[in-house]
Amino acid sequence: MKKNKKTIKKKSFYFEDYTEQELTNNNKGFKIIRVSPNRVTFLFFIFISLILIFSLKITYLSLSSNKDLYNKKNNKFFSNHRRDILDRNGTVLATNVDLYDIGIRPKLLSNKDKKNLLIKLGLSFPKLDLIEIKKKLMKDDFFWIGRRFTPKEKDQFWLMGNKAFVFDLKPSRVYPQKNLFSHILGQTDDSNTGISGVEKFFDKELSVEEKLIDPLKLTLDVNLQHLIREELINAKIHFKNIGSAAILMDVRNGEILSLVSLPDYDLNKRILLNDSVYTNKITLGVYELGSVFKTFTIAAGLENNLINTNTIFENLENRLTCDKYTISEHDKLPSSLTTEQILVRSSNIGAVRIAQKIGVEKYKSFLNSLELFNRISFDLDEIGTPLLFKWGKCKLATSSYGHGITTTPLQLAKAYAILSNGGYKINPYILKKKKSKEEGQQIISKETSIKINSMLRKVVSLEEGTANFADIEGYDVAGKTGTAVKYSSQAKLNTFVSIFPSKNPKYVLVVMLDEPKPAPNFVYEFLPSEKFPNGYKYKGEKRNTSGWNTVVVAGKIIEKIGPILAINDLQASKKY
Amino acid sequence: MINNDKWINSLPNSNKHLEKNTNEVNFDKWTNSVPKKNNTTSFKKYTFVTVILISGLLFVSALKNQTRNLQKEINKLETNIRKIQFDLKQANLDHNVITSPENISLLAKEYLNINFETYKKSQIKMFNYKPEDLSVSQVGKKQKIIEQKSKKFSKNVRKHLAKKVEQKKREIKKLQELYSNPEQIPNEMKTEVAKKIKQKKIELKSIYNKPGEILTLERVRNWGVVQVVKVFLGIPVVPGR
Repeated sequence: MKKNKKTIKKKSFYFEDYTEQELTNNNKGFKIIRVSPNRVTFLFFIFISLILIFSLKITYLSLSSNKDLYNKKNNKFFSNHRRDILDRNGTVLATNVDLYDIGIRPKLLSNKDKKNLLIKLGLSFPKLDLIEIKKKLMKDDFFWIGRRFTPKEKDQFWLMGNKAFVFDLKPSRVYPQKNLFSHILGQTDDSNTGISGVEKFFDKELSVEEKLIDPLKLTLDVNLQHLIREELINAKIHFKNIGSAAILMDVRNGEILSLVSLPDYDLNKRILLNDSVYTNKITLGVYELGSVFKTFTIAAGLENNLINTNTIFENLENRLTCDKYTISEHDKLPSSLTTEQILVRSSNIGAVRIAQKIGVEKYKSFLNSLELFNRISFDLDEIGTPLLFKWGKCKLATSSYGHGITTTPLQLAKAYAILSNGGYKINPYILKKKKSKEEGQQIISKETSIKINSMLRKVVSLEEGTANFADIEGYDVAGKTGTAVKYSSQAKLNTFVSIFPSKNPKYVLVVMLDEPKPAPNFVYEFLPSEKFPNGYKYKGEKRNTSGWNTVVVAGKIIEKIGPILAINDLQASKKY
Repeated sequence: MINNDKWINSLPNSNKHLEKNTNEVNFDKWTNSVPKKNNTTSFKKYTFVTVILISGLLFVSALKNQTRNLQKEINKLETNIRKIQFDLKQANLDHNVITSPENISLLAKEYLNINFETYKKSQIKMFNYKPEDLSVSQVGKKQKIIEQKSKKFSKNVRKHLAKKVEQKKREIKKLQELYSNPEQIPNEMKTEVAKKIKQKKIELKSIYNKPGEILTLERVRNWGVVQVVKVFLGIPVVPGR
């Protein structure tokens, strides 16, 4: 019987044998295992689906062209997490590097090890604050030795062979031009997100993964920026100003070639900038800019056909009062002046007379058309809003010569660009566009623009003009000076807006000196004139108006940047 | 106890004989239906399948191995490319730092003793500027234009030129004064100058007295060689004085 059972188990082919076995089993008390067909189907389905999933994955991997699957290790050589920023000539302004934060776990060190480590650190990194590190080492808690160490420095730490070191790789932003573009580029935080300037404004564009290889190109020029900055730094030596700023813009399309604001800071050194002196004076600073507004007053008069360049204003007083305001001339001027002379000699009373002729509404709408009072739309977040005020007779009088009226130097440059380019609207920008020249809405007539350019040229070229020092040979400079007094400190804020070449304006340059002082030791070089055919040098000037400082600085800037601009224009022209 | 026989016999009689016939399995019929074993064909089949399987396995493993090697090589090359790209980026960054205008001006201040002068606008000319032909008839006209232009020279340039002229004049005056009073010249200089004058005099005398001695064949040959070299180099044959 036993044999028979075994044979059944092994070889049986017949259904009856199994039923027999089942019966015998049943007789012995065993339970019959009944497997539900649904359960079998379910298990079968699961296994089939798993096989399908794996086969699909294998097929995908074998067919996939995604190289990153294989090259994950290689990425350590090239961690580009943010697009580079370049200037108009392709010079790198901002790029990414891998830096390291290095920390220590003192618990892993014995007292002897700690002493040895301090000696090694002292020898390899003499700049580290060893006393502070020693204190922290004794506390036995984890701490960071420092942040943003270069790969070379990291290797130096690594070669010390200490197990207590912790290295944290951090892709960071570096700025090879250091201070040069500090107010424009801005900074990123520890997570490489833009927190100010271009880094913040174009944060999304800079971190788009698909475009990481393509750098972000700006309209700025490193060489021009450096030359302008250098002159502004030199100006501080002579005129002892607390700050300064300059902007160079293409009047034809609004491209900004240079934007400097001093004092500036090294973008690679992360410091807290709470002091107001570090504000971007061109875009964020809102100032009363003085006589540079006279040009707008005269342009409004010309545009409304109320005056002409030869219109004579007779019996001009030397002093005028309106409510609490006393308006006077900066110098002794003739009692009768033409419109042109009012601008050339910068007559306050003359400007008031013209504004009175224009009237509040027309004057206000003209300034509005130049967008001097709105918050300008620009490629930065740091934009100032001009202060609002109530228009009245006295406000009209004071604003005609730029007092009691505020705006940003950027808006001033824009307004002068509109006046000089033939009268069409432009918007300043710093992000390089493919189509740079597009003619905007006509704000003032071409005739008015030509007249204004010619008058502004005389401000610089005529002997009685206020901006002789900017008459640089060959560049046909035109411009207007502005001297304003600060309410708070009675200190001065001097501005000079220049346009060159005046016959066919291409560039507008605004130079501003914040609180300049008289420079009696500065040697002024006068150009040859009828009186002095060989020119002459003069020292000991105690006046502190724009003509005696900002104009000099602007002249030097134009002398330096002029050749670069001339060559650039030559290269851009079809004749080249 | 139940009496089985009693219960079985109680059932109605059935045609057991018939049932037996119908239920009986025809073994021969079944056995014949099973195909006979063909030992030789199955062996071949299995061998064939095994050979194919093994060769397939070998082929796949070889192919896989080759692919893996290729992939390794590709990975290596890609790593190298990335390394080079990384180095290039670093070099580019270094270049940007080193050639930054601030750095260059600092270096220039430290190592150069030249006072750079900025270009004047008038000094920048178009590259495609073609000067007109100065034919004989036009020379006069051009001369006039140049004269007119020289009048239009800026005051600065004229001032600069005047300064230079004055400086030259002063120098000439000094020399004149020096040579007008030979007594003031130091004795050493005087003797040297006197020696040179004597030597020259002797040379001149010898040339006039015996010109044949000076024009030796060797000298003529040397002179000829020098002239040929001059012609070859484009230097004027006649001394440019």
